[in-house]
Amino acid sequence: MKALEIFGITFSYNRSATKSADGLYEYALKDFTLCVESGQIHALLGPNGAGKTTLMRIITGGLRGYTGNVAVFGRKCADMEALKSIGYAPQPVSVFTALTAAENLRFFGVMSGLTNKKLRERSIAVLEETGLVRYAHKKASTYSGGMLRRLNLAVALLHEPRLLLLDEPTAGVDPQSRHHIYETLKKLNTDGMTILLSTHIMEEAQHLCSKLTLVDKGAVVFAGDMAEIGNLEKFFLEKTGHGLRDE
Amino acid sequence: MGCAMNNYKKLKELFRKELLILLRDRQTIPLLFIMPVALIFFLSLALNGVYADKVTGHQISLVMENTSRTPKALQLEKKIAGNKLIKRVFRPPGYDNDKLFEYGKAHAVIFIPKGFEDGTKPVEIEFDPVLDAGYKVALHSLIVGLTAEVVLGVDNIEATMANFVVEKTKKNQNFPSPLQQSVPGWSIFAMFFIAIPMSIAFLREKNDGTLQRLFTYPVSATLVALGKLIPYYLINLIQFVLMLAVGVYLMPQVINLSFNLGIHPWHLVPITIVVAAASTGFGVLMASLARTPEQSSTLAATGAVLMAVFGGIMVPHVVMPQVMKKLAMISPMYWAHQAYLDVFLRDASFGYILPKLVILAIFTLVCFYIAGRRIKWM
Repeated sequence: MKALEIFGITFSYNRSATKSADGLYEYALKDFTLCVESGQIHALLGPNGAGKTTLMRIITGGLRGYTGNVAVFGRKCADMEALKSIGYAPQPVSVFTALTAAENLRFFGVMSGLTNKKLRERSIAVLEETGLVRYAHKKASTYSGGMLRRLNLAVALLHEPRLLLLDEPTAGVDPQSRHHIYETLKKLNTDGMTILLSTHIMEEAQHLCSKLTLVDKGAVVFAGDMAEIGNLEKFFLEKTGHGLRDE
Repeated sequence: MGCAMNNYKKLKELFRKELLILLRDRQTIPLLFIMPVALIFFLSLALNGVYADKVTGHQISLVMENTSRTPKALQLEKKIAGNKLIKRVFRPPGYDNDKLFEYGKAHAVIFIPKGFEDGTKPVEIEFDPVLDAGYKVALHSLIVGLTAEVVLGVDNIEATMANFVVEKTKKNQNFPSPLQQSVPGWSIFAMFFIAIPMSIAFLREKNDGTLQRLFTYPVSATLVALGKLIPYYLINLIQFVLMLAVGVYLMPQVINLSFNLGIHPWHLVPITIVVAAASTGFGVLMASLARTPEQSSTLAATGAVLMAVFGGIMVPHVVMPQVMKKLAMISPMYWAHQAYLDVFLRDASFGYILPKLVILAIFTLVCFYIAGRRIKWM
């Protein structure tokens, strides 16, 4: 079964897409197609500004005005049921730092429509999964970078999503937290969760993912098995070039 | 039914989250509650002179020189010196009139010359040039009246004239007391200051991605907007109730000034409901105009201070020159303040207050309309 089907997505932040210096229209995504099978950990790689975060925002209903189709487990996005089956951990740590981990989980749990009983059970479960039980009642503003990343993940896992979208989940964390996150993701995948992982850490992608989609300038430049690729970093630079992406 | 319950639960949680964040912000409580109490306390004291009855509230220091020494001149000197408005002082050696005024030794000098009784030489008055015009008029009238009594041989001309001219003033239609000016004024100011934490919270959530994340859940923008507005609106209402309690119960004990609520205190309810809506609308507008929390903070503070300056909060409307009185009408704080003063000072009917509330309601709608057009949730 297909967990995520994206077909022919075209999107521009500028409603009337303008021409860039090289004469091409500046699209964040251009005729983008991606398919993630259920039970996979699928890597979404690309340089800065390639369109990875834009894609995730489209899947989660955060951006409208695109052409093409997005379906999650057969349901068109951003249908409410489709949204319920998605867990999203954005690249910036998007939790309320004035609240404790428990309060953050309660807030997002209620927003996802969990019952009180389920919310209590799931809060304990995700705090254990992310190693935050001891700090559940401390304000997130007192957390380290790694703890915040794990709380970001805990919030995404709270409502037991079937598809987990992770946008650079280990950015700026220490090796211990990174290792903990890897182990958590592997366990979740073993339990049947499908994961779409966007990252700049090549070892991370190669360590966790069985499939790869490489994106550049809003278009797919490679889609295939991770096993086909030897040195991922070399492959990445061959496909996307050595030029800096500062814009 | 299930959907409505679910939405209610979500709204309650949005409200709870907003309130927790607001109350845990160390700057919020001082800004919204302690600042206005301090302003009410200190500015009520400072404005005491402005609002005191100018003629009977203070005495005028007067140097009086009588070169006539006739019985009538002595009688006039005695009458002037004995008046409750006058505090007689004596010229220090070496002080001419200019020096007297420059060093604040006297407000005026009166010279009773020989021959004043038959009109050959007038009684002379010289005022300190910076003396308030109200004092000058009062003292001039007093001297004219007392001189007339002495010259015409009439005793107590004021009592004689009492039956001809009667002042008609309702019990509660006096000049505002400093508290009646300060309590509604600084309460309104603090209510509009809610725009600062409100816009900062919104933009912080927008910029750190929590708002964006929230919209990946099955929750509508209307619900999120209500969850953001209701807590601030309620805090506005609480602010006014607390400030009023401070003005009515606490301040009279501390600074010995009275606060009269007027004969229709229940009119405060609709006024406060509308003023709170206007200040919440102002907050939403600031959030929509700024891009960063820092920008919104500066914008909201500057906007609130300017509205207070123009609206008769910082400089009382009654002492403004005519041009400023007209300009004041551009500030929503002016309409809010006047509506409260209608209750406290004028015992006004609700029909009299209503147009001011309509203006505030229009201001609120305009704020929400502009914000609605500008705000991008994500």
